[in-house]
Amino acid sequence: MHQSRFTRTLRTIAGWLVVGAFFFPIYFWTSVAFRDAKEIFNWPPIIFDFHPTVRNFEQVFGISLGFSFGNQEAVTPGGGNFYMGPRLWDSIVVASLSTVLAIVVATLASYALSRMNFRGRHEFVNWVLSTRMMPPVAVAIPMFFIFKQFSLLDTYLGVILIHGLMNLPLAVLLLKSFFDDIPAEIDESALLDGASRWTIFRRIVLPMAKGGIAATAVLCFIFSWTEFLFVLTLTQTGLKTVPVVSSTFVTSIGTAWGNMAALGAAAIVPAFITILLVQRHLVRGLTMGSLKQ
Amino acid sequence: MKEKDRKFYLANITDRFVRGQMDRRSFLGAAGKLGLGATALGMGMGSRPFVMNKALAQEQMQPSAEVISWLKEVGKPFAGTTLKLATESTPPSNAINSQLKKYFEEATGIKVEIEVLPLEQVLQKLTLDVASSLGTYDLYYIDQSWAASFSQDVFDPREQIEAKPDLAMPNYNIDDFMPALVDGISKYEDRWVGVPYDIPIFIMIYRKDIYEKLGLKAPTTFEELYTNSATISKEMGPNMFGYAGQMKSGHYALECEWTSMLWGHGGSIFNADKQFSGNDEQGLAALDYYTKLKAIMPPGVDQWTWDGQGQAIAQGVAASMLSWGEFFPYFDDPTQTKVSGLCEAVIPPQPISLRMPDQCGYGEIPGVGHQGGSSLAVSKYSKAPDAAWIFMQWATCADTQALITTLGGGTGPTRTSVYDDPRVKANARVGAGTTRHLPVVRETIDKYMGSEPDLPEWAQISSDTIPVALGKYFAGSGGSAKETMDGIAQQVGEILKG
Repeated sequence: MHQSRFTRTLRTIAGWLVVGAFFFPIYFWTSVAFRDAKEIFNWPPIIFDFHPTVRNFEQVFGISLGFSFGNQEAVTPGGGNFYMGPRLWDSIVVASLSTVLAIVVATLASYALSRMNFRGRHEFVNWVLSTRMMPPVAVAIPMFFIFKQFSLLDTYLGVILIHGLMNLPLAVLLLKSFFDDIPAEIDESALLDGASRWTIFRRIVLPMAKGGIAATAVLCFIFSWTEFLFVLTLTQTGLKTVPVVSSTFVTSIGTAWGNMAALGAAAIVPAFITILLVQRHLVRGLTMGSLKQ
Repeated sequence: MKEKDRKFYLANITDRFVRGQMDRRSFLGAAGKLGLGATALGMGMGSRPFVMNKALAQEQMQPSAEVISWLKEVGKPFAGTTLKLATESTPPSNAINSQLKKYFEEATGIKVEIEVLPLEQVLQKLTLDVASSLGTYDLYYIDQSWAASFSQDVFDPREQIEAKPDLAMPNYNIDDFMPALVDGISKYEDRWVGVPYDIPIFIMIYRKDIYEKLGLKAPTTFEELYTNSATISKEMGPNMFGYAGQMKSGHYALECEWTSMLWGHGGSIFNADKQFSGNDEQGLAALDYYTKLKAIMPPGVDQWTWDGQGQAIAQGVAASMLSWGEFFPYFDDPTQTKVSGLCEAVIPPQPISLRMPDQCGYGEIPGVGHQGGSSLAVSKYSKAPDAAWIFMQWATCADTQALITTLGGGTGPTRTSVYDDPRVKANARVGAGTTRHLPVVRETIDKYMGSEPDLPEWAQISSDTIPVALGKYFAGSGGSAKETMDGIAQQVGEILKG
């Protein structure tokens, strides 16, 4: 289709504006991480012309980057609670392992729901779907009592379990749709050739659904990475994830925006790396089933 | 040389050095006579003189030998116990967590885990702990507005002293807590809901340089506050405003500032019949004044809590505020703000008239110096109440409070004696963690303190009902001042009826 030069220029400008609209908040937030407190709130706002510093990162991650770390105040900001290195690790452990848990269970469950006929199969799928409609806050407090009873409060296992459970319905539904898109005739042919259900699943269907599994895993990881309520309710001092500790920067005399931005900027990195690693499968997974044959 | 004199001498020479009135060689020589080497004085710490001064303070700041000795003796049977406390990020909690608890842990063998959260999350955690009676926390950080709600869930410290004399700290002196703070923060009916732990209180903070430039004097009345602020906004605008408020719609901050205006105009939240009285003549006059004052505040002030208000002063956008005294040491920190050394603290403006406490309901005490603050208490559900009681006494004794005030950034002590502690007085100079505003804080507590009512429904009324309605009013969607106040009266009445 022929487009005039004017139209193409307009499209390019519109494209850059959209990119700018998405990118600018990330840039500004990241730039706040590299500013002194004095350069964060200004009128008119300073966009580019500030004096970069790594002080916020040094305070948040407790490592000297070779500038002025030796000059820390006598009282660590936030009572030492601004030191977030271990909390970033907590987030990585919880998000990774809960994703693995959800994906392992959901893959098996969704394959069964996709391929096997048993009484109440459709009702089961609807029931799984309905659990997504329940507001998390409704179960947070009962979970607190259950976790206390089973000594799961404030433990990695507890948070991994709850995040895994939280992601399970979504993962089951998504993966079921991906498995549904793989022709059942393939399974039947393999059965005729003498392959067991497990062999078919492991050797044939699973490799074909890799893209879908990757897409689901990314979603599970992101949901766990950003989950707030359960971690807040079910943890104390043992562990905390990034969204919950971010609120630690809110103090009685205001918010430590520079430190908060430093943690936020750093927290983007692991999620970004995860997505990068599965990117090859992700695009295929997200477009899987978009065309009906 | 006596320890007290030594500290004064040290403070003086440091002060002279910081101000450039003493060269480095003379300073080191003088410090050397006190037995302090260059390392102790932080000479390797770069070029910022106040950081060095703080490092020096840190070197000096350790719990007294008597306190450590008592801790060793009394804490022995509880070694190995772990105590948990959920608290807001306040100067006392931060100083204890980062600097002081190690001394307690070393002496007693009791481990202390402090969970720092925003205030509303602390409330959520405590509510869950109380509802479950599981004792997941041993100590409660209780904001003054929650005192009524938690009064039955904590030990009264007076009873603990009587019941456990073997665990009582010698010279703890519970009567040293400022009586106004005990009444305002830690008492519900006749019970002590812990002891006063910290005391943020409204004082008047203003930019002395700007006031002097325009020939103005620190405001002593509400009318002067308005005329001064209007003059500054007019003369130095549009990038400088005379006053910054904390007026975020639906936020507790808005209720705090409003009550200060209300009390300053002779009104009260509740009358003697326990009916909401913000809609009476004085209440409406206060809201009119507040509306007038808002007109000369920076745009966007209705999105600011005390955080935005403090930032407006720190970044040099506004010239005055009636707000928490805790901000003052922050403003003096040259690494954080543009106004270090430029601000002064004075007592709040005098009220136009003042309602007496017996004309108010639910223990409300009118006063322009709106008092916040919190108590520290031992939970009745704690699995280790004795160990928690030992920690609580240590955390709130005079010696620890003096250390907290000095290390914790000039926070207001809750004990009378701490205001006169030489360590606290020695920090009364321009710079981060200054205590030079504390005489004003003390005077405000003693004479001008305003205290919110104590009733179980107060958390809802103060953090939701009132600020939401006021927010609508200031946004122009809540009707007239009279309609807004009548609306609040009706809602409060319904809440109280249950």
